[in-house]
Amino acid sequence: MPPMHWTDAIVESLKSHDVWLIPYVPDAITWQVLSKLEQDPAFHTVPVAREEEAIAVAAGAYAAGKRAAVFVQSSGFGNTINSLAQLSQAHKIPVPTFVGMRGGLGEFNPVQIPSAHPIPGFLDAMNIPHYAPMVEDDVTSYVDGALELSFASRMPVAVLLYSQLVGAKRATS
Amino acid sequence: MLRPDGIRALLDRVTDEPIIANLGSATFDLYHAQQRDANFYTWGAMGMVSSIGLGVALAAPEKKVYVIDGDGSLLMNLGSLGTIARQNPKNLVHIVMDNQQWAETGGQPTHTSTGTDLAEIARASGIAHVIRVASLEDFEDALDHAVNEDGPWCIVADIEEHGHGARPPVSVEENLLRFRRTFTD
Ligand SMILES: Cc1ncc(C[n+]2csc(CCOP(=O)(O)OP(=O)(O)O)c2C)c(N)n1
Ligand SMILES: [Mg+2]
Repeated sequence: MPPMHWTDAIVESLKSHDVWLIPYVPDAITWQVLSKLEQDPAFHTVPVAREEEAIAVAAGAYAAGKRAAVFVQSSGFGNTINSLAQLSQAHKIPVPTFVGMRGGLGEFNPVQIPSAHPIPGFLDAMNIPHYAPMVEDDVTSYVDGALELSFASRMPVAVLLYSQLVGAKRATS
Repeated sequence: MLRPDGIRALLDRVTDEPIIANLGSATFDLYHAQQRDANFYTWGAMGMVSSIGLGVALAAPEKKVYVIDGDGSLLMNLGSLGTIARQNPKNLVHIVMDNQQWAETGGQPTHTSTGTDLAEIARASGIAHVIRVASLEDFEDALDHAVNEDGPWCIVADIEEHGHGARPPVSVEENLLRFRRTFTD
């Protein structure tokens, strides 16, 4: 059987882990998943103005007994650090975070490169586990594993979505 | 109006509803007014209480949810007002204690001291019910509406800063777990 499309694999994993609230700042990569989540009554999507809000909205939902996951673009990852560190990590609030990774294979926009390349290093420095499925065969096991790890450890975990998996973007940023 | 008086007025009107407190003064004064499991004390993540409150309000639509914010902190997360307006949670009451300063870091004047009007910004962001008050009496009146009528509400209270209570002995992790249990038990 061919593997599920990577977007459907993420949707199914989120469902099987009872994730309900999805705060996000869109990008062309994550929108491929978000557009499905927006149509699915199992989820409530919350477009926010800035990435640190997304982490805080997710943290609030968890504090009130529900589960959330965040979607952002690599450009905005830096905007999450205030709430990722002082809310999610400090209070031990699980916030699984999916990052649409620009700046890699096939990137056309030079400004995306210096913001995306340091992200794995930032995550290492912050002690935040991160995983990057590069082929569709791996998406379910990586995402299931990342969600399980985040909710069991009550800590943030990042899933990085690179162009090897999602395809290079050809049009706008 | 003083912040501790405003907090007591709020506590007089709630039972077990969640209250999310901004870092520093709001957290400290809320703790000293009444320690309760439904208090979420923040110690950092400056600017984020309005967003945390939105997450709580969406996750628990059956409870009224109160946020005690600061002017400097809300200035850091003005976009959250538009996010709240867009979600339009009827159960969210966002209280901003505007002392026109970053009190916690030494009382440096914030932009509200030179005319930036957070209530007008909230209104222009599309928040359904916005009230600006300058006295304890008017604050209590505004609360009586917010407690009993659908929101979202944003109450901007001009307050005088007279310092806050001592740093309370709170474990942030334990606070989170106790707070969460008020929803799951
Ligand atoms: C992201 C971030 N920047 C700066 C600080 C330093 N800081 C701590 S409290 C504070 C002032 C908060 O002002 P306000 O929200 O008006 O609350 P007040 O102290 O006046 O009650 C600042 C700037 C911080 N904790 N976090
Ligand atoms: Mg202030």
